[in-house]
Amino acid sequence: MALKIFRNARLAVLLVELVYLMGFLVPSAKAIWLTMPSSGTKCVSEEIQTKVVVLADYYVVDDTPDENHNIPTISARVTSPYGNNLYHADNVTHGQFAFTTTESGNYLACFWVDGQVKEGSIFSISLDWRTGISAKDWESVAKKEKIDGVELELIKLEAAVQAIHENLLFLKTREAEMREVSETTNARVAWLSILSLGVCIAVAALQLWHLKRYFQKKKLI
Amino acid sequence: MESRGRSHVGVTAMVVGLLVIASQMQGSIGIRFVIDREECFSHEVQYEGDTLHASFVVIKADTPWSYGDEGVDLVIKGPSGEQINEIHDKTSDKLEFVVQKKGPYRFCFTNKSPYHETIDFDVHVGHFSYFDPHAKDEHFAPLLTEIAKLEEALYNIQFEQHWLEAQTDRQAIVNEGMSRRAVHKAMIESAALIGVSVLQVYLLQRLFERKLGTSRV
Repeated sequence: MALKIFRNARLAVLLVELVYLMGFLVPSAKAIWLTMPSSGTKCVSEEIQTKVVVLADYYVVDDTPDENHNIPTISARVTSPYGNNLYHADNVTHGQFAFTTTESGNYLACFWVDGQVKEGSIFSISLDWRTGISAKDWESVAKKEKIDGVELELIKLEAAVQAIHENLLFLKTREAEMREVSETTNARVAWLSILSLGVCIAVAALQLWHLKRYFQKKKLI
Repeated sequence: MESRGRSHVGVTAMVVGLLVIASQMQGSIGIRFVIDREECFSHEVQYEGDTLHASFVVIKADTPWSYGDEGVDLVIKGPSGEQINEIHDKTSDKLEFVVQKKGPYRFCFTNKSPYHETIDFDVHVGHFSYFDPHAKDEHFAPLLTEIAKLEEALYNIQFEQHWLEAQTDRQAIVNEGMSRRAVHKAMIESAALIGVSVLQVYLLQRLFERKLGTSRV
């Protein structure tokens, strides 16, 4: 009986080790690969609210190495909606940047090729871009609050639900704005058609009056 | 002694299960880009049997009249180049398919209209992990399974929300354009009316002056 327990424990430890290794060997594949032409800039953007944490990681994917095994180098720039430069890097093959948004709007990340690249060669940049809830560092939260296991998973889910709720509220305000615009458009169309009709009638009356005066002057009436 | 052994196995089962959940760092990737003629993206799918959800919305087209109803084409190719799906001339679409082979999947957009278009593209891979049947402990495995399902459902909701946001953006742009166009139309119409009536009066006056001129002489 004691031997059976011991064997079970060893099997369990082995399993834990195996899964532990698997969990770390398999990278979190959340990145998207952009195909870069040999010249020109590739930009991606996202609409982000204020006070949102943005984490991004990018590297050049060595798809088709050329003869000298040179990996092409790229430059990156991130701009805020009002044009401020948040990050700039030249001649790198990988990099990361992180910032917390202070303005709400369209954040733009642009990449372009530096240096000499064979004409017509195509390579990819892998961009891992996380905002808000996916950028949260759960390990440090778990260590700080000393929670783990099921509780951590449930707290993650609660944070995800909060993010969804905030998103929904944002969508509600957008819908309210759009409704307002639609109603002003409706009112405007009504008033402007009446105005057009009024202008038409006024101009016709003016014509009549002017021509009558003209004919009376020329003694035709 | 035996119960202690069992609780050990239970704890390790929980740890195993949680490590398997924790290694699924998922979410969706939503990006916006401006397309000129053609743009291609790749996304790596790691597990077979996962469901891949993709959606795109054309936010605006930079046409001079700010009205673009032509959509874009999307072609999805698998890791070995086989064509999985093809969509033609749509301004917005959502699709999903079950991944048969793991590897990089290519999404290529083609723009048929001569103007630049802004497209919002979202990709989400839904993975449901199966827990190791060796570590069987009746207390934890169903709980972890349910938590994984819940997580998956929440990521799906986030994916749908992103698509909804992109659609509202498109509609907001259309609405504002419509409002502006109503005002412009009314002004141009009034100006045209006034111009035409002035032209009428001028032509009539000229006609009668000519007639008067010839008859009076």
